[in-house]
Amino acid sequence: MNIRKKAVSSLALLALALSGTGVAHAAQTSVRIGYQLPLTGNTAQYGQDFKVAAEIALKEFNASGRLPVPVEIVFEDSRSDAKEAVSIARKFADDPSIVGVLGDFTSTVSMASAQVYKRAGLSQLSQTASHPDYTKISKWQFRNITNQDQEGPFNADWIASQGYKKVAVIGEQTDWGQSAVQAFEKKAKENGIEVVFSEYFNRGIPDFRSLITKVDRVPPDAIYGAIFYEDAAQFLKQLHQLGVKAPVFSSSAAYNEQLIKLAGKDADGLRLTSTFLPTVDAENVRHFVTAWKAVRNGEEPGQFPAQAYDATNIMLDAVARTYPDATRDNVRQALAETKDFPGVTGSTTFDADREPHKSLVKVEVVNGKFEPSAH
Amino acid sequence: MSASATKSYLFEAFPVIDSYYFQQLVIGLSQGMTYALVAIGFTLIFGVLNAVNFAHSEVYTIGAVAGLFVIGAYAPPLAGVVLLVAAVGAALGFGLERLAFKPFRRFSDEASLKSRAMRESTLMSSLALSIIVREGLELVMGSQMQPVPFNYMLNTPIVLGSITIVSGDVVIFAVSASMLIGLQLLLKKTRIGLSIRAVSNNPLGAKYSGINVDRTIVSTFVLGSMMGAVAGLLVGLYYGSVFPSMGFAPGIKAFVAMVMGGLVSIPGAVICALILGVSESMATTFMPSAWADMVPYLFLILTLIFFPRGLFGGGRERV
Repeated sequence: MNIRKKAVSSLALLALALSGTGVAHAAQTSVRIGYQLPLTGNTAQYGQDFKVAAEIALKEFNASGRLPVPVEIVFEDSRSDAKEAVSIARKFADDPSIVGVLGDFTSTVSMASAQVYKRAGLSQLSQTASHPDYTKISKWQFRNITNQDQEGPFNADWIASQGYKKVAVIGEQTDWGQSAVQAFEKKAKENGIEVVFSEYFNRGIPDFRSLITKVDRVPPDAIYGAIFYEDAAQFLKQLHQLGVKAPVFSSSAAYNEQLIKLAGKDADGLRLTSTFLPTVDAENVRHFVTAWKAVRNGEEPGQFPAQAYDATNIMLDAVARTYPDATRDNVRQALAETKDFPGVTGSTTFDADREPHKSLVKVEVVNGKFEPSAH
Repeated sequence: MSASATKSYLFEAFPVIDSYYFQQLVIGLSQGMTYALVAIGFTLIFGVLNAVNFAHSEVYTIGAVAGLFVIGAYAPPLAGVVLLVAAVGAALGFGLERLAFKPFRRFSDEASLKSRAMRESTLMSSLALSIIVREGLELVMGSQMQPVPFNYMLNTPIVLGSITIVSGDVVIFAVSASMLIGLQLLLKKTRIGLSIRAVSNNPLGAKYSGINVDRTIVSTFVLGSMMGAVAGLLVGLYYGSVFPSMGFAPGIKAFVAMVMGGLVSIPGAVICALILGVSESMATTFMPSAWADMVPYLFLILTLIFFPRGLFGGGRERV
């Protein structure tokens, strides 16, 4: 593309953007938010959960009458594919009625689309992207989940407090998995724990037995896994099949009711951290759990849907505070000013780096239920 | 008990070999057997058509899903589930052939039968069908893993000295061995076996000597898909989870095993499947397990370069 063409196309884009903001200013008959998430493909179950949670939040918000006009969420299916996500990001960025975006699910995909939002100047709030580099991309990236630089050290302290000296670490071979393992290992070493084994596996492999046999050759006092619930279920089943007794700690990604359905009694004793427990005795948590159970045949929500519910509410709150002047810049400003937002995953305040500060709770699977850990 | 923490009598009997390697060998063999289970039906179908049936992975998945459904609805004993799933597999094979393969065999003149384009179009049609089925399953059941009822799971540990296997290993070994032997008997001793071999060898010649090529192809699909569906069921029960994309990885492994085995040799594919399984688990010892997953592809490349006819291919055309 030569310079003239470039100039023409950027002028055209500018004109489009100007006319777009013009419309938004003049009318604001409805406000639209984009949500990019995997609704099909291998990770669809996570995206479907997010969608249900976001719809609960949106319905409540629109029913509350806080804004005279309805807010609309446009869901786009990214399939957890970075290429797909970038086209969705462009689509959202080119649509002047979209004032903020939620998503995506994985760190890799969120960071790929973040590049588009950075150029377009559109705020992106991810409910789950916990790679430390995500919010470093630009001032437009927010998240409401604790990043691995918080979660990893928290787990390393927990394991140290239990007196375990030799730890084996396994993590999935993704951007997120690597950041989780590195953050954990750094703090573990500072705590005087010896990391006797550290390896990555490919997400979704059915058979962990070779890896487990290799881990058990060491053998460690405890195992830490940067692992999602499906892999965790397979891992735990096969771990106990092979008779390994070392206790397993995990990041919050393994927190899902399905883990217990898949692994049964093999899930017992798994310890993990979370920002959310459905059993917490608070008005908003009870409310969310009831609403969730009503749409999900009595299933209890895990941490991820709770994260999505809060992310949607934080975004809606920011939009409401800017109305009737909900432009992209104003929404970003309002998001950045979010302070002590009372969510089901604890209260959220964004710091200068657009990171939330949340307290983590220790959870343990006891007799087939996620309970606050006694350890 | 811990697999390698304690010295066992096996360790003492073979002091040179650490029981760790025995355990890895056993794991590798059991993984290899799950690949072999898929490879048998896959290779059989390839034999008669000389075209890859990409939808075999989905037959495998539907076999597992159907099994889960049967278990949920009627909870019959395992043998009953296997028989019902085999019946589902047979129906799938019939339907698959009708939808994705038969339309491309409309013309039976010599030129069309020899045409590469005709074969290659079935490659695409089976791939298309496989994508449609997988996405359809994801829409209906979601892409998450469905748990298998615990009493149907084939993963009760069996401890043999310092080695641990699970009940599923025994079942899968028995099933794949009987599939292999049964299939060889069928191919060598029965009329339908004879016509399958004839079509596989030379479709045109078979046609001219009065063999009903169409019917032979259909029965091969029925047979191969029956095995594919049972494979999916057993592996699903073995790992205790069923999900729409579960057929993808085993499909690739079966494909590699088939190519390594020389495309049309079923025993060759089985042996290569076992080699794949063992090398994957052994490779885990020497390299990160994320890398060990690449071993099959390495084998595929090595086979294509150094054994273009496959390891057990005999005098057929190049892979």
